[in-house]
Amino acid sequence: MKKELLPFGPGAWILVAAYLAALVVIGWRSYRLRRAEDLEDFYLGGRGLGFFVLVLTLYSTQYSGNTLLGFSGKAYRVGFSWVMSLHFMTAIIVCYLLLAPRLYARARSRGYVTPADFLQDRFGSRVLTVLASLVMVVALGNYLLAQLVAMGKAVEGLTGGESPEAYAWGVVGLALVIAVYETLGGLRAVAWTDVLQGLVLLTGFSILLALVFQRFGTPAETTARLLASSEWREKATPPNASIIREWFSYIFVVGIGASLYPQAVQRIFAARSPTVLRRSLAVMVFLPLVTTTIVVLLGVTAIVHVGALDGAASDRLLTMVCRTIQESSDLGYWLVVVIFAAILAAIMSTADSALLSLSSMLTGDVYRRLFAPSASQERLTRAGKALSWAVLAALVALSIPARDSTLVKIIDRKFDLLVQLAPAFFIGLHWPRLRAAAVLAGLIAGIAVAVALPAAGYPKLHGVHPGLYGLAINAGVAVIVSLARRPRRDS
Amino acid sequence: MTSKGSTPYLSWRVWAVYVALMLVGVPWYWPAGDDTVLGGLPAWVVVAVLASALTSIYTAILLRRRWPGEAGDS
Repeated sequence: MKKELLPFGPGAWILVAAYLAALVVIGWRSYRLRRAEDLEDFYLGGRGLGFFVLVLTLYSTQYSGNTLLGFSGKAYRVGFSWVMSLHFMTAIIVCYLLLAPRLYARARSRGYVTPADFLQDRFGSRVLTVLASLVMVVALGNYLLAQLVAMGKAVEGLTGGESPEAYAWGVVGLALVIAVYETLGGLRAVAWTDVLQGLVLLTGFSILLALVFQRFGTPAETTARLLASSEWREKATPPNASIIREWFSYIFVVGIGASLYPQAVQRIFAARSPTVLRRSLAVMVFLPLVTTTIVVLLGVTAIVHVGALDGAASDRLLTMVCRTIQESSDLGYWLVVVIFAAILAAIMSTADSALLSLSSMLTGDVYRRLFAPSASQERLTRAGKALSWAVLAALVALSIPARDSTLVKIIDRKFDLLVQLAPAFFIGLHWPRLRAAAVLAGLIAGIAVAVALPAAGYPKLHGVHPGLYGLAINAGVAVIVSLARRPRRDS
Repeated sequence: MTSKGSTPYLSWRVWAVYVALMLVGVPWYWPAGDDTVLGGLPAWVVVAVLASALTSIYTAILLRRRWPGEAGDS
C-alpha cells in the first residue's frame, strides 16, 4: 500500500481553503456579537452555550487529532484490545457525575472563569491555586503540543511521504488560522467553529466506516484472517494480564484526568443552564460508541491490509488507508477530501479549545493573581489575547522537533499530572473537612511520584500509569492530614 | 458547601453498578487464546462493547434526574 495521499487537485485545495476561511468568518462574526470586553465573555462566551452548541463543542473538543490518528495507529499496533479506548472515553462522562452538578452550581453563583477560581474559592490558598494552575498549564501545553504535531502529520500525509518541510508548514499555517479566529471571538468563536467541525467530524466518521468496510471487507473477514494467522492471532485473542492491568489503568487515568481537562471544566461553566449541561452529557456518553469503536475497527482492519509499520509511522495509518480509497474512483477521491477535512476539524477543534483554556489560566490565574490584581477586565482580556499568540508561537517551535514522537506517548504524560488534581476537585466538592494544607501536601507528593517514576525508567509500572500511584498517595495524604486536623467551625 | 443530599449521584449503589459493568467489560476472566467469535467479532470484544453500551445507557438514565437548583429551569 502507498504511504501517501494522491496530491490534492485545485478543487480539493479550494474546498479546504474555503473550510479554513469559514472558520475565520465565524471568528469575525463572534467578535461582532461580543457583549462585553471581559474575561467572562471572552473565555466563557458570556455563559450562554445552548444544548446543540454545547454537545458539539464538548464532542469536537474531546475527540481530537489523537482520537483519529493516534488511536487508529494504536489499534493497528495492539489489535482489538484497544477497544479499551471505548471504556476510558465513556469513563470521562461517568466521572462528570461527581463533578458537574456541584461545580456548575458553584461556578454560577461565584462567577468562576477558570478551574483554579474554584480552588481559590474553596481552599483560600494562593500557593495551592498557583501550583494547581501550573499543573494544568503544563498538562494542557503538552496536549496542545500533541495537536500541533497531529496537524503537521496530517498535512505531511497530503504532500507525499516523509517531508519535514510540509510538516512544519502545516503546523505554522493551521496554528495561524486558529490564533486568528480565537483572538477574534474567544470561546464564542471556538464553540461555533466546533459546531462546524463537529458536524464535519461526524460526517467524516460515517463515510470512513462505510468506505473501509466496502474497500477492505467486513470486521468478520478481518477477525477470521487475524485468528487464522500465527503472526496476528494474539491481536484478536483475549489480552494477557499485563494488558488487562493497563486497561484498568487507562479507565481510571483517562476517566479522571480528562474530566479535569481545564477546557472541559470551562464548558461546564459556560453552559446556559444545568438542564442544558445535563442533557448534553446524556448525549455525550453515547458518542464513544459511534466514534472510538469506528477508529478501533479501522486500525484493526488495517493490520491485515497494511504492511509493517512501527512507532510514529503507524500514526499515519489513516492517511495510507485514505490513499487506497482515493485511488478507487473519483467519488473515492472526493470522499477523502471530506475525511481530510474531518481530520483537520478534529485536530483544530481540540487545539483551539486547549489554547483558549491555556490563555485563560495564564491570564486569570497567573498574570492577574501574581502581577496585576487590580487590572481592568479590558486590560486582562487584551493580555489574554497576547498570551494566546505567545503560547502558540512557543509550542509551534517545540512541535517541530517533536515530529517523531508517537501521539499516544505525548498524551500519556498529561493525564499523569492532571489526575493529581482529583482530590481537590472530587473530594473538595463533596467533603467540607478537606483542608488546603492537606490538599497541597497530597498534590506535591502525587506530582513527585508521577514525575519520578517515568524519569526512573517506568513509563508504566506493572501496566499501571505512574499518575495513579501518585494519585493514591496524593488522596491518602489529603484525607489523612485533613482527618488529623480539627474540623473548622464553619465547615 | 451544600448538603450531601443535594448531589444526586453519591449513592454507593450507583457506583456498585459501574464497578460491576467495568468488571464485566474488561476481559480479565477470558481464557487465554480463546477464539470464540460472536457476530463476526471476537466474543470478548463483543462483551466489552456491550458493557460499554450498557454503561452509556445507565449513565443517560441517571442524567434524567434533575440537578440541585434546576427546578423550573427547563
